[in-house]
Amino acid sequence: MKWKKLGHIFDPAPYGFFGEYSSFAQSPQALVFEDFVRIYFSTREPDGDMFKSHVRYVDMTRDFDIIDVSTDEIIPLGKRGTFDEHGIFPFHVTRTRDGLYGYTSGWSRRDSVAVETGIGLSVSRDEGETFERLGDGPVLSASIEEPFLVGDPFVVTREQYYMYYIYGTTWKEGPDGVQERTYKIALATSEDGQTFKRHGRIVSDTIADESQALPTVFEADGRYHMIFCFRDTFGFRTDPLRGYRLGYAYSENLLDWTRDDAALGFERSSDGWDADMECYPHVFEWGGRHYLLYNGNEFGRHGFGVAILEDV
Amino acid sequence: MNTLNTSFEWTNRRLFFSPQRDASLDWMDAFAQGPCVLERDTYLRIYFSCRPKPIDGRYVSHSGYVDVAKEDFSILRVSERPILELGARGTFDEFGVYPFSAIEVGDEVHAYYGGWTRTVSVPFNVNIGKAISRDGGRTFERVGPGPILSYTLDEPFILSGPKIRRFHDTWVLFYIAGREWIMDGERPEPVYKIRLATSKDGVTWVKAGRDLIESVLPNEAQASPDVFYEEGRYHMFFCYRDATDYRKNPERTYRIGYASSPDFLHWTRDDDVMKFSRTESGFDDEMVAYPHTFTLNGKRYLLYLGNEVGREGFGIAERKEGAR
Repeated sequence: MKWKKLGHIFDPAPYGFFGEYSSFAQSPQALVFEDFVRIYFSTREPDGDMFKSHVRYVDMTRDFDIIDVSTDEIIPLGKRGTFDEHGIFPFHVTRTRDGLYGYTSGWSRRDSVAVETGIGLSVSRDEGETFERLGDGPVLSASIEEPFLVGDPFVVTREQYYMYYIYGTTWKEGPDGVQERTYKIALATSEDGQTFKRHGRIVSDTIADESQALPTVFEADGRYHMIFCFRDTFGFRTDPLRGYRLGYAYSENLLDWTRDDAALGFERSSDGWDADMECYPHVFEWGGRHYLLYNGNEFGRHGFGVAILEDV
Repeated sequence: MNTLNTSFEWTNRRLFFSPQRDASLDWMDAFAQGPCVLERDTYLRIYFSCRPKPIDGRYVSHSGYVDVAKEDFSILRVSERPILELGARGTFDEFGVYPFSAIEVGDEVHAYYGGWTRTVSVPFNVNIGKAISRDGGRTFERVGPGPILSYTLDEPFILSGPKIRRFHDTWVLFYIAGREWIMDGERPEPVYKIRLATSKDGVTWVKAGRDLIESVLPNEAQASPDVFYEEGRYHMFFCYRDATDYRKNPERTYRIGYASSPDFLHWTRDDDVMKFSRTESGFDDEMVAYPHTFTLNGKRYLLYLGNEVGREGFGIAERKEGAR
């Protein structure tokens, strides 16, 4: 595979999403229209010494010039005590036979660890301007073998729904005393997009205590491809060698995956906005070409960029 | 209107087991909540949940048991240690195992329990776990690090109060599901409703996805759905309360309700059938809550909690002879 970087295309700083504060445009995800693409992302609202993530979008031309940036709420955060009351990040929008679905990764704060997450479902009846959740609870959350941190949904619709997502395996205390999480990519399938059957892990590890996040799946050249990001459990915030980089796996049937990071063909930048970190990838197809949206340094504090697939 | 030609009247009520009175264990400083009887050869093992002294004003709950002789209900022994360790960091049951419902399955004892975690915007969340004992119900191991029932679109939080039953070839798990957190001044208080899930194997559960018991109060919270089969129909004792100002106010706190069903799925509520309310003075003069009933030698008994949801322990009453 060979990807050509087209550069940094969105910076949240000028838009004043939360008054003085306008940072982070994380996990860009596309909804393609005939002559523009709507790219959803999560941006942060300061809340004491923490943040709440909210969904916004930017509409762009084929040349990734900005047409419009949303200022209104696309989906409100959840009610008191629900799984998504402290943030929605990421937000995955997909057209299905059952409607224009927005799968949410909802965040709620915990006492002994920072957060718990779950996957919720919302639907849009206005072409993606706003979304209404189908219930106060999640469609996928902790289970016997997946005890916490279910999140990062990506859905492929074929004869059934295939949901790629992550779940947490451990919380471990790091050298600095901070509780850090480890999570892995898994698969669940569904007939209706709401009730899922779990299949467990699908992507093998390449490093010790590897955390895998944000799988995105596409079809090209007669095969399925998955790009995701992965990192060490400790030291990943500041050490580029331990931080997020992109990984890759392929599959013939959407169920069984073979990891092969070397085949991705996505080189790390030597300097600039994405030199220290590459994370939260999202691939979409538009006009017969495949594009890869992704965040760079500091988990997307300064927005996102795009690359184009030149050779499968 | 009384839909049955029967009523449940009770006599000889008294405080039955009290951690303060009957045990001297640090982890069992106070409270004996959610009693559940497992019948053994010569004795009854009664599981319950208790608490050590709070740290910084916050409690954890452990579960244990007291064994009592069948012949005179005298206390034979109290579990020395909690029967199930609390969960690992970040898991759903890190801060409490309460309540605890056990059933015999061949040589094993299977338990379904509420696991407690601490949250930030509201005080806690609960989910239902499962654990298995292979030593006759003395100690338990969880089947996995996570819960057996997941939150869903219409059951967003607080899945708790499991009561496991087997009717014919079907496992039935009665439980409560949170609906809403309501502010009582500065304090969020949860509203929850009685629901059920069924299973053919005790592993995969199908939720019924609806409230079983019609509410009679605005924002009524319902708990402790204790179901048994007798004389051709299913009976449920449960408790209910107002949403706010319910902790000490006898007019708004837990009372015991009743419903009956031909099939354990469809229920008709008729609280008047249950003749059991708070006393004039004593450990249960503010509330009666969390009923659990069992029979021994043809006689029906009621275990229940009194004031502050069982702070002093649980009580017992006997069904009045000839009252049916």
